[in-house]
Amino acid sequence: MQEVHAGGKLFKKIYVSIFLWFTGRAIQAAAKTDQEIKKEFDALPEEYTFALGCLPNGPWMVVGKEKGRVKYFGGDLNVRPVQLRLVIKSIDAAFLILSFQESTTLATGRNRLMTDGEIPYALSIIRVLDMVEVYLLPKIIASLAVKRYPLWWSFGRKYGGRVGVYTRTVLGIFGIK
Amino acid sequence: MNLAAGFTFICPFKTNSGNRALEHLPVELSDLNAFKPMIITSASLTGKKAIRTLIQAFGDSGMTLGLFDEVTDKADLSVVDQIKELYVHGKYDSIIALGAGLVADTAKLVNLAVSTKIADARKLSAEADIRGPLSPLVVVPTAGATGMETSKYAVLNRRTFVSVSLMPNLVILDPRLTKTCDPKITVESGMAAFGRTLEAYISSDKNPFMDAYAFTALRFIRENLAVAVNKRCNKQASLAVANAAAMSGCVLSNTGQNVLHRLGQIFQNIVHVHPGVMIGMCLNPFLDDCMKKDSSLVSSLLQPLAGDDKSAAMPEAGKAGEAFREIYGFSYEIYGALKGRMPRTISEAGISQFLMNDILEIINKEPDGAYLRTLVERVCGSSVRA
Repeated sequence: MQEVHAGGKLFKKIYVSIFLWFTGRAIQAAAKTDQEIKKEFDALPEEYTFALGCLPNGPWMVVGKEKGRVKYFGGDLNVRPVQLRLVIKSIDAAFLILSFQESTTLATGRNRLMTDGEIPYALSIIRVLDMVEVYLLPKIIASLAVKRYPLWWSFGRKYGGRVGVYTRTVLGIFGIK
Repeated sequence: MNLAAGFTFICPFKTNSGNRALEHLPVELSDLNAFKPMIITSASLTGKKAIRTLIQAFGDSGMTLGLFDEVTDKADLSVVDQIKELYVHGKYDSIIALGAGLVADTAKLVNLAVSTKIADARKLSAEADIRGPLSPLVVVPTAGATGMETSKYAVLNRRTFVSVSLMPNLVILDPRLTKTCDPKITVESGMAAFGRTLEAYISSDKNPFMDAYAFTALRFIRENLAVAVNKRCNKQASLAVANAAAMSGCVLSNTGQNVLHRLGQIFQNIVHVHPGVMIGMCLNPFLDDCMKKDSSLVSSLLQPLAGDDKSAAMPEAGKAGEAFREIYGFSYEIYGALKGRMPRTISEAGISQFLMNDILEIINKEPDGAYLRTLVERVCGSSVRA
């Protein structure tokens, strides 16, 4: 008989943390670049905040509206009241989803995701996340991550938006419209 | 099915199945209000790799786990008492049974002992009434599961404990653990599940829920067992067979102990042969008898085994014969692929006349002992006599 302490999963945790950090910033940037994403956020109540992360110990990504603008609030769940939590059941599941081995839809079907909050708002957020992924990732990878790749997007929207999102995310330019 | 007569069905466990299902364990345990589980397993029967995989699934959860990996095939109530002491001393709050058959049975009885707070687990009585919810029990079947892991039965030292409370709260089926490269192990598991669910499916007292479980289990085995045998180490096919085995435990808990299951159990208890071996042997003679008794029940097997189209195209009068041919062809394919590794008769299984006499003694005590004996006689082979 022995007692075993569950170890850590450092690599996966670092990967997921970086991914969430970058995606959080990208959502903030995309809300300024893409009209459809902006519309989705406009439909959400003022001060509405959502978090995406994994159990039991994170990491988390907290994004919300503040004074009418979309803002990434970092990885601390206590920074402000969170109305919607999109929870991935484990760091392994988060790694599967965020390394595009499983799409969000498939992961939901496989019982890896839980939603704590209002479903219509959760669907808005999922649509936003899908659009951000299309901006951030090349088509071959984004097709794995989203349910339906938006072939109907114009060339200008896709590539112009991608340049805008990347520039704002990497350089941290969030204040210029 | 006479719905007006009323029926009862119970399947209290949640099933988590599929790729990386093990990693859901920490969250599922916290849902059960359990934060310090004890793993009961067998390093020799289950293998160290499986234990490592289970422990790794807890990575990043911050949990402390107890690990007892010394269950052997000679486990008895004194082992249960020993584990109970360790459980109480270590202040654990739940049990994870990692393994097949005996490991799960031992875990169920440890759970019974710690939940009822019995001072000496060696005094656990199979006759005593087991009531009320027990501590959370998670079963993680590995390759070679008998299907009994998810059932309401726990058999230790030829003593059978029966209670719905013994059934697990959660069953995790992960392809990393259910996969095996030895097709015989998969076939044993599949045949045990096939026999049990088949018998429940053609029983006259089945209810719609049992029907649904048995139908799915039969179809899973029909579609996947041959694949698992022919394409070795196939994760998907062996996972489907493990799912069917888990369902068969639930089906079994809602029926009486039927003919094939009892024969499998008796042979397992006395000569430690996997119940799937005996069930596989007796399947055809048993179906023969069912055909003679009421062929309409056998005809219902055509749909799960041959598929919807074939079943719909077949006239009612020919369904029973076609279902029988389907099963015969299925077992011929499986046994043929194993090239004689799966015994077809009791003498091929290497059971001596001396042990056979012990088995017959027990069979004779059964209420339908005479019929069981005729079944055994038909699968004896040349060197053993019933």
